[in-house]
Order: sequence, then C-alpha cells, then structure tokens
Amino acid sequence: MPVAFEAGDSVLVTLQRAGLHPNHGGCLCAAGDCPHCLATVNGVAYVRTCQTLAQPGMIVESFPTDDYPHLPPNTQRGPTVSARNLHCDVVVIGMGEAGQAAAAAATAAGKSVITLDDKAGQEVVGIYPELMVVARTDTGMLHIHAHDEVVVATGAAEIQPVAPGNHLRGIVTPRAATHLAAKGVALGRVVVVESGGAVNLSTSPALNIVAHRKGQVLQFEGLDTLKAVVIQDDNGLSQRIECDTAVVGLGFTPRDLLVRMAAGLKVRAVGDAAREADLPPCPNAGMVCSCSSVSAADLQRVWDQGFHEMELVKRATLAGTGPCQGVVCVPHMRSFLATRTAAADPSAMPDITRLSKVQAPFTARPVVRQLTLGEVAAGAHHHATPRTGLDAEHRRLGAVMDRIGGWWRPWHYGNPLAEYWAVREAVSIGDVSTLGKMIVSGPDTLAFLERLYPTKVSSIAAGRSRYVLILDERGYVMDDGLICKDSDTRYTLTFTSGGSSHAEMWLRDWAEGWNMDVRILNQTMSLGAINVTGPLATQLLQRAGLTQPYKFMQHGHASIANVPCRVYRLSFTGEVSYELHHPVDQSAKLWRTLMTLGADLGIRPHGLQTLLQLRLEKGHVIVGQDTDFDSTPRRIGMEWALRMDKVDFLGKPAIERTNKTVLDKQLVGFEMSAPATFEGANIMYEGEYVGYVTSSTHSPLLGKVVMLGWLKLVNGALPSEVMIDGRLARRVDVPFYDKEGGRARA
Amino acid sequence: MPELKSLPFTRIVATPMALDATIWPAEALAFRAANDEVLLLASSLPTIADPHAIILPDSGFVGVWLSAEALQAIFEQHCEWALPATRPVFVQGAVAGIAAKLWLEAERGLLIVPAAYGHDFAERTGLA
Repeated sequence: MPVAFEAGDSVLVTLQRAGLHPNHGGCLCAAGDCPHCLATVNGVAYVRTCQTLAQPGMIVESFPTDDYPHLPPNTQRGPTVSARNLHCDVVVIGMGEAGQAAAAAATAAGKSVITLDDKAGQEVVGIYPELMVVARTDTGMLHIHAHDEVVVATGAAEIQPVAPGNHLRGIVTPRAATHLAAKGVALGRVVVVESGGAVNLSTSPALNIVAHRKGQVLQFEGLDTLKAVVIQDDNGLSQRIECDTAVVGLGFTPRDLLVRMAAGLKVRAVGDAAREADLPPCPNAGMVCSCSSVSAADLQRVWDQGFHEMELVKRATLAGTGPCQGVVCVPHMRSFLATRTAAADPSAMPDITRLSKVQAPFTARPVVRQLTLGEVAAGAHHHATPRTGLDAEHRRLGAVMDRIGGWWRPWHYGNPLAEYWAVREAVSIGDVSTLGKMIVSGPDTLAFLERLYPTKVSSIAAGRSRYVLILDERGYVMDDGLICKDSDTRYTLTFTSGGSSHAEMWLRDWAEGWNMDVRILNQTMSLGAINVTGPLATQLLQRAGLTQPYKFMQHGHASIANVPCRVYRLSFTGEVSYELHHPVDQSAKLWRTLMTLGADLGIRPHGLQTLLQLRLEKGHVIVGQDTDFDSTPRRIGMEWALRMDKVDFLGKPAIERTNKTVLDKQLVGFEMSAPATFEGANIMYEGEYVGYVTSSTHSPLLGKVVMLGWLKLVNGALPSEVMIDGRLARRVDVPFYDKEGGRARA
Repeated sequence: MPELKSLPFTRIVATPMALDATIWPAEALAFRAANDEVLLLASSLPTIADPHAIILPDSGFVGVWLSAEALQAIFEQHCEWALPATRPVFVQGAVAGIAAKLWLEAERGLLIVPAAYGHDFAERTGLA
C-alpha cells in the first residue's frame, strides 16, 4: 500500500505514522541498534528502516513470518559496488561530542583525520587487521587505512526489555518514544516503566502518558499488538495497566562492537562507547535474542547443560550471531550468567553487579551490518589468470579456452582429431609460452645446478639440452624440465607450466641457502614459446628461415620469420619438434607467419587436449597429474634420470634410503579396448583395489585405449592383467607409440 | 582513455654491488625492481661491472603514462596501500589485484604490469 512521507523521514517513521510496523514486532530503538525494524527495501533484505531515509517509489516488504527474507532470483544481478581507498593517520567513528573532541585533538596533534558518522551516511561495518575501517555509503564502500589509530565514539545503545510478550508491536525505548513522538507518530496511551534506567520524556509533551512506574515488566500482553503491561514494583506488588505503547528504560550498553572485533589493533573507545554497561534484571522469561529466536528458557537449558561462559552460550544458542550482533541480547546474557553464577556461589550475593563474575561480552566479528554481496565484493578481485601473447590469436581462431596450469590456454580449436593427425602426419603449432623459463648465470652456476639436479650437469655440452627430473629434499618428484647449457657459466632451465611460479622461489631459496654466486632471471612471462611439431616441422622452419639443421636436444639462436628465436630441438609429442622461444610481443607475428607458410603442408594449430593425447601415446609423465606427493623416481619408473654416482644432489640421501625399502607401487602403462575410461578410475585385481588411472585416452593411431596408472605390487609382482572400469586391461611397457623414438629423433 | 602498450625494457640482473655502482644514462629510467634487478628504459646501455650479469631486452611488460589525477582515481579505487608522498619514486605492489610497478613523477606516472596480466588489468581499471 502506498504511504505518504515528509522530507527527512526515515522509512520507520513513515511506516509508524501510517500505523504500520516494518517487521512483526519487538521493541523499537529507532537508533540502528536493534533488529526489530529490519525490512526488505527495494529488494535488499535486512535494511534498518530507522536509518534509511524514505524515498519516492521505495518498496518496503516485511520478512515472512516463519522464514528468512527471500533471496532475490538468481537471474537478477545486483549492482556493482565500487570501493574507495583512503589513507590517514586517525579514523574517528561517530561524531557526537566525544568523537568531535577526539578528532579535534588528533588534528591539533598534526594528524590527518578522517571522520565517519552514520548520520552523514557513513555506516561503519567493520575494522580489519592493519587498521582498515570499512564503511558503507550511498555511493559505494570506503576502505579507510588508518596508520596510527581508530577512535570509536559511537555512543551507547539503550537496553531493551526481556519479558513474555516482548515480541509485540507497541514497545519502544525512551529515545525511540521521543523521536517518534517528535515526528508526529501517534503512540496512543503510553505507559513508562523505569527498570533501572531513568526515563525523562518531558521533551515530548505530545505523549499521552497514562502511567509512569518504577519496577520490572513481568509481561507485555496482547495478540500482535500491545494491549497492556504488567509491572512489578520494588515491593513485589504487580499491576496491570492497559496501554498502546510501553516505554521501558533499562539503562545503556556501550556500542562497542567495533572495539570488540579489534583485539590487538590500535582501536580505542571514547565517550559513551567506553562506558560501563548497565546490567538489566536477570531475564526469566521472554525472547532474549529475537535475531536467533533464543528465549530465556533456552539460556536456562544451555546453562543446565554446562555452558556457563559467554562465548560458549553464544555458540550453544547462536544468541548474538544475528543481524544486531548481540546489541540486544548481550546485556541480558551477561545478567543471566552473573545471576546464575552468583546463585551457585552464595558468597557472591546479594549485589552481583559489583562482582567480577559479570562476564565480558563475547568477541565481535565483522561485519556489524548486513551487506549485499556487491558491497562485500567491492574492491576485491579474483586471482587474475595470465594470458600468453597468443591469447587473442587463439580466441580469434575460435579456440575453446580454459584455465589450465595457471594460465588461459586453448583446449582445442574445434576439431581435436584433425589437430592430432596434423601432428602425426604433417605439421602443427602449439602455444607453449606457459612453460617456466629461467636463466642462471654466475661463477657458481655449474656447482649450483650439480647440487640441485639429479643429472650430471657437467656432462651437458654447450648448445645441448637434457631432460631432468626435479626432486625435493625428500626425494619426491616435484617437477621436470630441461637444462640447456649456454656457456660454462650460464644455463637456461625450463619447468612445467604449473611448476614455474614455484620454480623461481625454489632456485633462489637454494642459491641463497648454499651461498652460491649466481644470478637468476625468470623469463617465463617475457618470452613466448611456440612448439612446431610433426614430420614436416623441419621443412616448415626452413621456409621460415631456419638455415642450419638441429640435432635432437640441440639448441641455438635463429631468426625465424624475422623474429629472433631461441630454438630448442626436442619432442613431447613423439614427432620432430622445435620450441621457438621469442619476445612475447612478437608471438602473434611468428604464429601467423608459420600458419601462412605451412598452409600447403596441412598445418593446423593444436590445443592442449591434443597435446595431452600425443604425449600419453609416448608415455610421457605429467608431473602433478601422473605423479603424487610421494612419487619417487623409482615409483614412476624413471631411475634412468638419476645419476646416483654423483657426490650429492638434492634428495639423494632420501632416494638412497627409500630405495632400500620394498617397492610397493609403480606408475605403469595399460592398454584396453575403447572407449577410454575416466582419469581417476579404480584399478582392480581379483576383486581388490590395486590402484587408479592417472591418464587415459583413446589413441586414434593405435586404435585402442592407452593409460598410465598407479599399480600396487601384489605378492611382490605387478599384475599383468587388471580390471579397469569393469573391463580387462593389460599392463604394457611404455611408450605405447614409436618405442624406439625414431620419429622424434629423425 | 590511454592504453597499455608494450614497454621496451632492458632487464638487468647483476650483483647488487654492481647495480649500485652503475651510472645510468642521463635520459634513462632505471627501475630497481629488486636488489639484484633493474628494469631499464633507455636508448643506450651502461656498463655493468659484473661479468656474469644477465642483460636482455624484455618485452614482457606493458605500461601507460597517466596524469597525476588519473592515477589518483585508479589508486583510490584499486590500490589498498598508501603511496609514498615523495616524487619521483618507484614503488611496487598490488593494484587491482595485480602485481604492478609504478614510477611516479610530480605531474604524471607510469603504471607497469606484466603483459600476461595486461588484459585483466585494463579491464579492471578501465584502461581497456
């Protein structure tokens, strides 16, 4: 229904003036402290209507009576919220008298000060480590970074009554009564109850006060709306008074949520935010925490179960975990626990408020205000996934892109089978820019690499490369790659795409630890790399400017398509292959020229799907996919990559030790008929689990499924036939394709 | 809106002592990215007193010169750390969640990010 409002009216005032309640009831504070005026406003749930100015066309919905606010439909995308970062020495939150004084003092001391006040539309939602204050404003989020301190001057909240019927409409705090009356809200017959807190409503002459009593509210009567209040005076006499509104004064509790969430940070409270909390009477009945529907009976129940600490009672009942974050319930929980504790210890009676047994409130956590996901995400960014210099080229060619190995990479270009045959029968190019690429230079380079790698580095000639396993100090396979000798004091190292980010740290760590005189340059993102592979690869490169033949595992410099390249002759696909490492800003030029020059050779680009298929036919291991955290060279069948006669290398002592144990499992090859099983499929032998598949593909060339998988030894031997995916599979030696390696070395 | 463009850096990795002692060309911008590394924008190369220094052209970074006002707008929205007040100054840190290098002069500044993150950086900061 439409309701009228005046400029400056809050939504709460607007609704109250129209005789409406934003929610289903409960004591109103009109100060942003309690959860009782929360409503869904313009589709955003948990809006404090007392703190929200009414606007034309605003749609206000109360929550369902028996449910949480409805989530917006998932087709509805919320607005993007921006974040603004500000820096200062001191942040002052709350601009009442105490806040103004704190800000003035800091300014006078020469500090740069930022002040925040909810009345100015800056609603602080949390204080985070490194003194970051986050505030919500109409124009976005503020992330304010304080260098010195944060001063909390947020004042104190009024304590709300707990008694049977305190969920009814028509109960207000003294401040709320004053505010609503001043705004012209008709409160009807008003009963004032002072329950430990003085109530002075003399500034609100419009109020029709029918009774003003000191005592404790025993009950609020009514169905939905308050009809009467039952009060017990200090003499124990009770009285029932009919009314439309009950104004209950119970004293104040500091608004110190922001301080309580900032333990260890330079955050201090001033003014009423630093005051001692008043202690209301012990709640014996009624709703203590309306956010989480925790009654006084619930408190008694958890007390009886042995939960006697504030933090435990919070966790046991969830009191204090809802929208008001305990502002309403904490005073009553403290009173309840103090009273029960004192009752259990008669020496503590009769005045529990003087005792140290009144427990401190529980730790507060950000956020103290409900936020939209857009507000939470403001200023936050996803981890960015790097793109190669060919990213735009892949997308232009219609590649299906995916994040693999920490990069955006082409999975395929629409026809993976054609890509496969281009490699096996003609020529193809693939983007391998993501490989890790490092240069190590310095007088200690050889000594450093000898100690680092399990191969004999000194036997690598200049201009030659060698495949290497990379081990950690426990002898487990961590990565693999190439060592390429440039000169006696300079080597180029390559790593897998996924391992490259760790590789630089690994190199630097050991170089520093061993006090090696080396310089290390990570070129992973500076160089593009294109793999030219297939039986016609050499022919294509000759067209592009390759003048000298390269032997298998040889490397050198050449101008290819007028792009300066470092050329590496190797093979991952099983065919003749050249990796062309080049300046990343020339990747597209090199790629396009190769595609043009190879058009009549049947060139096609291949994506990662095809590359994985090709390498599996060759039985090449992918570290991280085929290996596990405990994969030793022996277990993956690659002891040939170790030179155990070296004096030392990283992981050698561990290898020597583990080699003395009985081999328990091994990474081996399997074949079976189509279709290919999924990677991760169980391997069974005589009904028992004996391993799992790590890589699986159907080989178009071989006409069968080829796999790698971990296989346990049974009675000291590897089973030769197993069941995979319910089908018979044979264990076979790898590689599956071109066992002599003649094609790659051609 | 200015666009990120490839920067013709020379990347120099050498001993800290050698880098400390290097006299950089007058017109050069030499950014000390690490104790042992300099990113150099210059038309000529200085002599580095380290025979094992790695000195290579490097096109792995993109950057854009922006006015102080434009930089301030980006920093307010995307930079959670405080920039130093001194100018000129070279600083490094996350901007829009991406590792960036900043060369700040009195009236303008150069924003530098790895080319591999250029797309995301431009998208996030509106430099696209």
